[in-house]
Amino acid sequence: MKISSNIYKLIIIFITIHVSAISFAGVNELSDYFKTIRCLVCEGQSIQESDTEFAINLKEQIQKKYNSGMTVNEIDVELVKIYGEEISFNPQKNHYLLWGTPLIILFIIFIFIRNKIKFFKKT
Amino acid sequence: MISLFGNGIIYVSLILTVLFYVKLLKKLIPSEVLTLRIIYFINLLPFILLIYAFSISDFTLLNVIENSYIDDPLFYKVTSAWGSHEGSILLWVFLINLFGIFFLNKNRIVEIHKNIIFISTLFLLYVMISSNPFTYIGANEEILGLGLNPILQHFLFVIHPPTLFLGYIGLVIPFVLSAHMLIKQDFSEKLFEEMLIWSKISWFFLTAGIVLGSYWAYSELGWGGWWFWDPVENISLIPWLLNTALIHSLKVSIKSNQLKLWSLNLGLYCFIASVFGTFLVRSNLIVSVHSFATDPLRGLFLIIIIGYLLAITVRLNIKSISNFNEDSFNLFSKESFLLLNNIFFICSALVVFIGTVYPLFSEMILETSVSVGAPYYNFAFNLLLAPLILFMAFAPQISWGKHERKDKQLPYILVLSLVISLLSFYFFENFYFALSIFITGPLFIKSILVLNTNVKKNLNFYSQWLAHLSIGIFIIAAVYTEQFDYEENLLFEKNSSNEIALQNNKIAIIKNVKDENFQNYQRISVDLLISDGQQNRQLSPSKNIYQPSGQVTNEVNTTNVLLSQYYATISTIESDQVGINLVYKPFINLLWLSSIMLIFSIFLSIVKRK
Amino acid sequence: MKKNLIIPVMGVVVLAVCVLFYLNQTTDRNNKQEEISNLVFETPDFYDNEFIDEKAMGEFYVVNFFASWCKPCLAEHPLLMEMKKQGIKIIGVNFRDDEENFKEWIKEHGNPFEHILRDDGTIAYEMGLIGVPETYFIKNKIIQKKIQGPLFYEDIEQYL
Repeated sequence: MKISSNIYKLIIIFITIHVSAISFAGVNELSDYFKTIRCLVCEGQSIQESDTEFAINLKEQIQKKYNSGMTVNEIDVELVKIYGEEISFNPQKNHYLLWGTPLIILFIIFIFIRNKIKFFKKT
Repeated sequence: MISLFGNGIIYVSLILTVLFYVKLLKKLIPSEVLTLRIIYFINLLPFILLIYAFSISDFTLLNVIENSYIDDPLFYKVTSAWGSHEGSILLWVFLINLFGIFFLNKNRIVEIHKNIIFISTLFLLYVMISSNPFTYIGANEEILGLGLNPILQHFLFVIHPPTLFLGYIGLVIPFVLSAHMLIKQDFSEKLFEEMLIWSKISWFFLTAGIVLGSYWAYSELGWGGWWFWDPVENISLIPWLLNTALIHSLKVSIKSNQLKLWSLNLGLYCFIASVFGTFLVRSNLIVSVHSFATDPLRGLFLIIIIGYLLAITVRLNIKSISNFNEDSFNLFSKESFLLLNNIFFICSALVVFIGTVYPLFSEMILETSVSVGAPYYNFAFNLLLAPLILFMAFAPQISWGKHERKDKQLPYILVLSLVISLLSFYFFENFYFALSIFITGPLFIKSILVLNTNVKKNLNFYSQWLAHLSIGIFIIAAVYTEQFDYEENLLFEKNSSNEIALQNNKIAIIKNVKDENFQNYQRISVDLLISDGQQNRQLSPSKNIYQPSGQVTNEVNTTNVLLSQYYATISTIESDQVGINLVYKPFINLLWLSSIMLIFSIFLSIVKRK
Repeated sequence: MKKNLIIPVMGVVVLAVCVLFYLNQTTDRNNKQEEISNLVFETPDFYDNEFIDEKAMGEFYVVNFFASWCKPCLAEHPLLMEMKKQGIKIIGVNFRDDEENFKEWIKEHGNPFEHILRDDGTIAYEMGLIGVPETYFIKNKIIQKKIQGPLFYEDIEQYL
């Protein structure tokens, strides 16, 4: 019995740490950030991977903005404003269906395990 | 001639199949098994004929003109046969029938084979109606062919698509077996065993295909990445995840007679997922590196096939749901952990699916175009995968039925893994790496401990042990490579020094620039030395200019430092300057090695059964 | 029983906080930019080295991005000349080009532009350019139409 409830707690603690880590971790390095920008004239490549004039210019411009003190987040907002949502491989957070599904799934799994344990305790 | 033959064979096959179905063939050939053999064999022929047409460069066929070039080496001429949409669908038909022939040696139930032939005929019809590779265009001496896309002229491309297709199509056998069991309401253990073997075979090819594809992208596209969350990669991952779930749930069905409807449903959906994947790629609905320009008819036809398969699935479920008792088993049993494993795998397949089709949904319903890429999957996929890996450490040692023994080691293992993880954070100062150490730690510790216990160690044990261990190694290697790789853009000017100092205190020296001509391309290559004073490592990245298209490809060159790799591509090459993109990929070879281990482990468990 | 609830409740609360934080990280995002970038009027003309007088441009004008290395730009060049003949004012933005090549190009093919700006990519970025050539039809500072790739007669028909 003890093991089961311990595992249960451990999993919850672990997942909580995990989710919070993912939520709070930001992009710091520009080259990592370039990987999240879609090269609009290529097929599915990021500007980091592309040698097209579009990608080269965008990299230069972002570098310039970054050097002038803008944060990656501010640059991201500006980019989306100029080029539209398509530019970013990191979809906007207001796509609730997209971002919510994994969390809902995880929550359902939680409930599932919980109910199983409860059911098992009763019998 | 070949056009006539090809079309003729397809018609003959269609006629024979129809005759077989209306039972008119019985008078002619009394043995049904023999008839099955004949139909399977005839269905193999069109693809063989297409390969022949490509190998002799028969430019009376439109498909050959579009996809091959007279001066291509024979090797690439042959592989052009599946470089196009038409060819790849014909390959699909070929492989279904190849599986049918092998399956016929193991299982002689005619109804099952009828279903296989039915599915193969659906695809053959698809070939006939919307993508016939045997379209005749007339003889013309001057045609030299347009050539195979140069990025595809790579040895790995020769084996990658057929291997992946073998994996996709291998799933047809679990599909027909599930359908058969549900139709006949015959749930014998023998059939489940058979399903397990075939799903393992398919898993073997799927894994190998995905790894080959990944390696191809890594070594050919020149972007330095090995997984791009590209729609095509995603849709090959979905059947893989479902198939992994299937293999685990089948064990429960066989050993403890539970989760039967669950397994059968998984068997059905695995194949549907692989057909769906083909549909998404070939219909060009989702733009990706791999898609061929196509007309909407093709997509429509594949939608009909998928709709039909889904309808069968739903129908069979309604029919048989009342015949199954609710599964019940102990909380602390292998069954319950395998169920959990299944839930996690199916959910991650669902997440990948949602991420892949969401741009489509958004474009049509919300009217905004969105790109879903690595940041989303890193969030969603890892969220679900991390707990799964933790379970993987402990689940294999739990017994069937009811687990009585208390696992006294458990808290110690978790604490130990946490300590190691904290230490690694102290030394490497990277959060993701420390996290991955914590997740995989118990798996490694348990793997070592298990070898010293008195668990029965047969081949089955080792294959499972190896599979789980290699997943652990894979995760560590993947996270390490991604977190600690670094990139340098070296620019060598003509009149300045030919040496540039690197971040890791080594020196990059440019040697010479070569210009060579080959059979169907011109190569400009640069020799680069990486020197640490005593040892020199040479890299020669190049740019290839292909005939007849004039397309330029970047050829990557790598050199290994134990398990790590230097990865070089030419970024610019002009008369007065040479730019080289140099990436250091630590432990990338460990990643490929663990993939090979994974493939080998399933090979062990397949061999064991024979 | 109650004791067992503490951890899950805490877990859910922390999760919720994280999710909320995560969702709030990004501010509202508008649609694509509709107005012409001010940078166009803050960059001096290449030839007379003066800023473009916005009023002199009038209500309606065209901004065209071009480069001497770009082949499709040559294809649309006659159309630009035609537009000039009809009295449409065009601001040409020379995108990431070599100065000598650019001068040579203008000399060889003619100058359809009212003003020419040379751009290292900054204006292009601000305007959301995807590639050259790209043409913006501007009325009262608002971008009316945007043509990516070379112009065709159908594109300019309504303005002639």
